[in-house]
Amino acid sequence: MGILGKLFYFKGNGDFKRSRKYEQELNKCIRCGYCYELCPLFKSFYWESDTPRGKLLLIYGMITGEIKPTQKIVDKIFQCFYCKNCSDNCSAGVPITDILTDARADLIEQGFDVEGTIAKIDEDLCSICHICESICKYEALEVKKDKEGKEKMTVDKIECRGCGLCMAACPTGAISQKEGCEITLPELHNKVKEIIKEDKKKLIVFACNWSVFPGMQLSESPSLVKTPYGIIVSMCSGRVAPELVLDAIEEGAWGVMVAGCPPEECDHDGNYKTRRRLVLLKNVIKELGIDPKRIRLEWFSTGESAKLSKAIDDYVKELDKIGPIKKIEKRKIGG
Amino acid sequence: MKIDIEKLKKIVGKENVSDDIADLYVYASDASVHHAMPTAIVRPQTIEQVQKIMRYANSSKTPIIARGAGSGTSGHTVPIDGGIILDMKKMNRILDIRPEDMLVKVEPGVVDDDLNRALKPMGLFYPPAPASSRIATIGGEIAANASGVRSVKYGATRDYVYGMKVVLANGDLVNLGSNTRVHSSGYQLERLIVGSEGTLGIVVEATMGIRPIPKFRCLAVANFDKLEDAGNAISDIISSGCEPSMLELMDKIGIVAVNKAMNLGLKEVGAIILFEADGNVKEAVDFEIEKMKKICKKYNGKDIKKSYDLAERTKLFSGRKKLFASLSRYKEGIICTDLADDMGVPNSKIAEAAEKIHEIAERNNVIMAVYGHCGSGVIHTKIMLDSKKKSQWEDAEKVIDELYDYIHSVGGVTSAEHGIGLSKAPPWKKARSDIIPVMRKVKRALDPNNILNPHKIMDAPDNWVQATNLRYKVG
Repeated sequence: MGILGKLFYFKGNGDFKRSRKYEQELNKCIRCGYCYELCPLFKSFYWESDTPRGKLLLIYGMITGEIKPTQKIVDKIFQCFYCKNCSDNCSAGVPITDILTDARADLIEQGFDVEGTIAKIDEDLCSICHICESICKYEALEVKKDKEGKEKMTVDKIECRGCGLCMAACPTGAISQKEGCEITLPELHNKVKEIIKEDKKKLIVFACNWSVFPGMQLSESPSLVKTPYGIIVSMCSGRVAPELVLDAIEEGAWGVMVAGCPPEECDHDGNYKTRRRLVLLKNVIKELGIDPKRIRLEWFSTGESAKLSKAIDDYVKELDKIGPIKKIEKRKIGG
Repeated sequence: MKIDIEKLKKIVGKENVSDDIADLYVYASDASVHHAMPTAIVRPQTIEQVQKIMRYANSSKTPIIARGAGSGTSGHTVPIDGGIILDMKKMNRILDIRPEDMLVKVEPGVVDDDLNRALKPMGLFYPPAPASSRIATIGGEIAANASGVRSVKYGATRDYVYGMKVVLANGDLVNLGSNTRVHSSGYQLERLIVGSEGTLGIVVEATMGIRPIPKFRCLAVANFDKLEDAGNAISDIISSGCEPSMLELMDKIGIVAVNKAMNLGLKEVGAIILFEADGNVKEAVDFEIEKMKKICKKYNGKDIKKSYDLAERTKLFSGRKKLFASLSRYKEGIICTDLADDMGVPNSKIAEAAEKIHEIAERNNVIMAVYGHCGSGVIHTKIMLDSKKKSQWEDAEKVIDELYDYIHSVGGVTSAEHGIGLSKAPPWKKARSDIIPVMRKVKRALDPNNILNPHKIMDAPDNWVQATNLRYKVG
């Protein structure tokens, strides 16, 4: 949204005047629940109030005056990664994420402060280098002056989509997100460790939640099918920070695949960053004496889960041929 | 209603209990038209926890309403009198898959599609397949005796229930049924639990039969100018001894709705029939499909297409698969409500019933689509109306009254696969007053304090519009 749009957005004076226009759309929701089948928030917390259907219900309750907004309700409304798996599954055609965005604007205007799944900046760590600002497609990050005239990086809580690209790019680690959805760097580090150490997988696949993961999820039951690979759902390939890839290699993975959307298909333009980042990373590991083939980037469009499965199988075969990374190579990563 | 929240937190952990309005408001409704607030939500993860919760609820006479995916269409899980919603979705482990015995043991929160994804690599499947299988839990399917598009060949949930563990109202755990496909060893109490809508006990583990995936599946589609012809073709297919694995109907209203919602470009004819045959011998599948094609042609069926290819079959079926939600897009200013949604009629009455439904709807100023698993006699309808107008809800009540009088007069049933809950209770009670005293005796014997999903089926109020809040803002 441009500056003019933002000015218009904040002209309102309370109530639910933006979201109220959706009352009939909310009535069109038959509450079948198909929207939460692939919802990452529901998969993380298992409360129905975390599902898209639940959030629409809460918004309906607020705009019809049946319930008043509370901090907890507002927090729920601000938890969404905008992956749109919900709207794609809704044959009633309810514009779920549009409704959510307008409800967010209404609630912010009413003075609610929220954490949600949006980016959070640690002012003590932030050096205001502007890298995050230039990376954010939604113009959600902006340097503003506080009351004392001190500059600080701020997050537009309505525009932030929680994609986490800024988090992966921040050189000082000043940006974080809500824990509990397996999206923060520490959580992802733990997941990498768990997959390699406990599940003894040789390949880590970071799969984009937008393009390929829904299909993968629908084509197999990962907990029951024994595979030589482990899949970590990433909210965007662009949020796979370089240290996560190196982490996987250090923990003993034979290879790492990052599966993202093809050029021009990424909602966040994160795939371009991934491509540049992985070229650099391959050079780095080559310098350390590790075969660059240990890192692979693949593009998949929405619905190409069969292609992803084949690409994983082919890569596993290749890795089987070259075997595990030798110990001497691994020592070099730590210097 | 006062509930000892601290006690519940001690049983299941504080992260699994909520009495916050953010949760209560969401759990107050399902896919039905009703809305009533619970007092608390509790998420058990073990059988012992369910037993402790039941003991507490029984001693304090607190209503307990078990809930799976919340996809019920008749208000089964709407807590009309408050109480505890027992959200079973976290009890979602597949405990055992035994291909050698052709059975699985699952917790009640296992999602139907997840179970089938686990079975698929072994060449097996769990057949009931309700349209909501992507979120529907096995526990919920048992509670409603759910069935779906393949019920014409494979039957309903009850045909796959071998046994189950059930926690009774007093907290006792009982093992019902067996590990075998059939048994004749005492009362078939596991069958009593099927379709009981959470009013007799809480299913905490289920032993279900599974079947091998057939090698070949062929799906065909036929267009009809007249709904009556399509209905008669379906009746003829069944009475001629064909063995479809699916036999579905979609009327023009449904076709227009999916075209609008999904831009499918289907020909907007009077009705479409989708018919499928499956088996391990291709010639046998072909034989069945050809036999059904011939009957369709006899009733002026045209534009017949068939395919064995999965992608093509998925495409042919996509309109039917998403019809329910698409109905919301049929016309501006109206919405799709889950009322009068799943009556069953004898095979010979399909065409007559389909026409009658349209006639009753038109006379009462509402729109009703006719579709469903008509091969098994299941007719799905939805009442589409302007939810803001009070008069439209009165129209809906008139439709329900008139429609079910007709359905019962031809020997049909109130609900074929979704259950009675709240919204279908008045017509069901009118038709089955003979068995209500017996059902009440059974209920009293198992649940003397009436804590398990009270005020449902035979005990549901007759004035369903007034008894719960409608989830729509009227006026």
